[in-house]
Amino acid sequence: MVTVPSRLDSTPPASGPAPARRPTVVEGVPPSVPAPAAGQPLVEIEHLDFFYGASQALREITLGIERQKVTAFIGPSGCGKSTLLRCLNRMNDLIEGTRIVRGSIRIHGVDINQPDVDVIELRKRVGMVFQKSNPFPKSIHENITYGLRLQGIRDKAKLDEIVERSLRGAALWDEVKDRLGESAMGLSGGQQQRLCIARAIAVEPEIILMDEPCSALDPVATAKVEELIQDLRSRFTIVIVTHNMQQAARCSDRTAFFYLGKLIEYADTRDIFTNPANPQTEAYVSGRFG
Amino acid sequence: MSQLSSSASAPTPQFPIHKRRLRFLGLTVEDCIKSFFGGNALISVVVLGLITFFLVKEGAGFLGQNRQNLAIYRLAGLEFVDHLRRQSEDHTALTRYLSDLRLRTLNQWTGPGGLTLEAANARLAEFDDYAARFGDAADPLRGMVSDLSEVATAIKTKFLVNEDKKEERRQLLAEGKVAEAGAVVITAVDFPAELRPLRDSLPAYREANREFSTRLGALLAAAPRLPEPELQRRMDRFAELGRTYVATFPGIERDLAVWDHARPVSAAEAFTAFIFGRQWLTASFWQDWYGVVPLLTGSFLVALVALSLAVPLGVGAAVYVNQIASQREQRFIKPGIEFISAFPSVVLGFFGIAVLGQALRAMSQLPWLSWVPGFPYSERLNILTAGCLLALIAVPTIFTLAEDALNNVPRALKEASLALGASRLQTTIRIIVPASLSGIISAVLLGLGRVVGETMVVLLCAGNRIAIPDFTQGLGFIVEPVHTMTGIIAQEMGEVVRGSIHYRALFMVGLVLFILSLTINYAAQHIVRRYRISIG
Ligand SMILES: Nc1ncnc2c1ncn2[C@@H]1O[C@H](COP(=O)(O)OP(=O)(O)O)[C@@H](O)[C@H]1O
Ligand SMILES: [Mg+2]
Repeated sequence: MVTVPSRLDSTPPASGPAPARRPTVVEGVPPSVPAPAAGQPLVEIEHLDFFYGASQALREITLGIERQKVTAFIGPSGCGKSTLLRCLNRMNDLIEGTRIVRGSIRIHGVDINQPDVDVIELRKRVGMVFQKSNPFPKSIHENITYGLRLQGIRDKAKLDEIVERSLRGAALWDEVKDRLGESAMGLSGGQQQRLCIARAIAVEPEIILMDEPCSALDPVATAKVEELIQDLRSRFTIVIVTHNMQQAARCSDRTAFFYLGKLIEYADTRDIFTNPANPQTEAYVSGRFG
Repeated sequence: MSQLSSSASAPTPQFPIHKRRLRFLGLTVEDCIKSFFGGNALISVVVLGLITFFLVKEGAGFLGQNRQNLAIYRLAGLEFVDHLRRQSEDHTALTRYLSDLRLRTLNQWTGPGGLTLEAANARLAEFDDYAARFGDAADPLRGMVSDLSEVATAIKTKFLVNEDKKEERRQLLAEGKVAEAGAVVITAVDFPAELRPLRDSLPAYREANREFSTRLGALLAAAPRLPEPELQRRMDRFAELGRTYVATFPGIERDLAVWDHARPVSAAEAFTAFIFGRQWLTASFWQDWYGVVPLLTGSFLVALVALSLAVPLGVGAAVYVNQIASQREQRFIKPGIEFISAFPSVVLGFFGIAVLGQALRAMSQLPWLSWVPGFPYSERLNILTAGCLLALIAVPTIFTLAEDALNNVPRALKEASLALGASRLQTTIRIIVPASLSGIISAVLLGLGRVVGETMVVLLCAGNRIAIPDFTQGLGFIVEPVHTMTGIIAQEMGEVVRGSIHYRALFMVGLVLFILSLTINYAAQHIVRRYRISIG
């Protein structure tokens, strides 16, 4: 097994039927629930083996994601970053033939792959921003309120208020406040991506997953999104997949380096970039392969 | 190969980048390929143009002929007589209302625990006497109509014989047989003189009309009373209809007084007689009518029934296959539905006659289904039968195109919706279907085009009765037989004389059909284009 340094080793082994196990359905856990134990990560991934049909995409992943921090997943293409990210809100359920053969993912101590887990509730709490911006072909306003309406919120004043708050949160309000009724398809690529972030934060998730959110954006738009991530870290736990090493170095607190479906190294971002423990990590972050 | 190209344009043989051209009859290979494909495209366009031109040319001839047709109708006084005939027919309708009322009364009285048939009939003696007196009141009018009909028919025949003779003489002259041509006697019809009997009948008609209206007035005032309130309401309604009828008399007299046999028929009149004409009546001894409305309504109603079945089926199946079904189900359902279109439509029609028509009729006669409008019915072939089969024809089109449209919705939209905590159903209804709505609408339109143009099934299964269905019975019209535009062309085109007005009228119907299909297809494409843009 590869060396997995630092804090993860110090977390108590959480396998076995933990006595403090919460009800398995995530429902009813308010976002502001206090940490179960000091230092225990919000998301605990243990010994995860994941398959697309017969081909294994993730091997033995053990990783803890800490609350209100930005965690970056880096690694060469095809190493399984997106796959792991999509495991966290069970988006892989949509792909036929996917299965988790071994291991578990727990959020707030709840195993999210248990059959009695309501995926819909899970996804309300674990939001996602995709690589390619994907606003709905509806108005800007409707894009933001979509998730809220699904939850049965109909009160117009309340919706308007959340729209404004979310757009401000996504640093988009000033640019679109005069055209909320217009189609979201008319926005620029960067604006669309920030709209998608606004749409995700409108439903107040605890965790936001971002899969290469800037890879289709120009440098100026990228800088805006990165700035936004810095603003959001105080309210959300963010996991970001990125191809761009500088981006990981700039925005994240913790960085996990994957290679060929394995977690090679997971440490504070500073350590990964300045003093990596593993030679493969070093080779990758210094740009010698990848 | 640089030697082949002219040396002037190839200054540096060390850098051979000039095109190497193989020439064939002075054309390069590319030219040949280009002209092959271009030629094919050109042929299609030319053929389409020719067909359109042919349709329009043959159809346009109809206007002139129908104008002539209507002019004779007027000149020979048929129009005059038809005023009276309509009056007489309206009276007949009232008589029918009475006999219908008698039937209802009889049914009610002889119902369970009621009178015997003899007793009920005896109780209706007074009613019968009244109905008979009401019916007889129109006898003078009917006599007049039949006398004048003969006069008008005679004038028309005389005119037509003369026309034939003129034609004969023209042919003889064309063949150079001047002597024979001179021997053909043509006596021009003197319409004012011939029409004198009609005009002279006016005072007598006025007199008869006065008599008629006083008799009807007296009869309506003394209408028999029926004990049941429901029946009495109908009786009151009868009296009301009767009074309305009598009130139309002065109008008819006025129309007859100002009627002028020589008033010219305009081209617009000939056209509206076709487009808004409510009768399609050919080879009639009295007067032929070429009105497209009954055919248009027939086509429209059959298509409506077909679509109201095919749209939920096709779109529903498309949504299921695209959004819900597993891949194994998809592999099974998709070819299954597409296979339906492999049935030749004549086979479907045959199936409609032999199986579906029977089955539906048998079903309509089940007592517990009698609440369905129009049930029970006895005509096996009708709008419903044809509509059900046409739905079968439209389903593959709608299904395939709607499935395409759903498939074109980017997967990312579905993922975005699910990631926000939407269920599959919510995602389908709120995101996928709206995003593909224009595609689905155009699928439905193309299905409509398919249904409107379909011929064999409607010819075999729609019942082929040329009449506008009776909408007064609510939804019951869907079990009435109709004729359709496609059906009538297929049925009558083989029998008509080339170049006759009937032949041309069929072309006009074809033209209407063509324009309709064109509009539907254009609309469908237009909508698809808009939708492509909006999805981006
Ligand atoms: N839908 C899929 N079906 C089968 N294999 C997949 C699918 N998606 C990804 N994979 C495979 O899983 C591995 C990890 O992919 P991914 O997580 O997308 O990598 P990354 O995001 O790190 O570039 C790759 O080898 C890829 O080929
Ligand atoms: Mg990826």
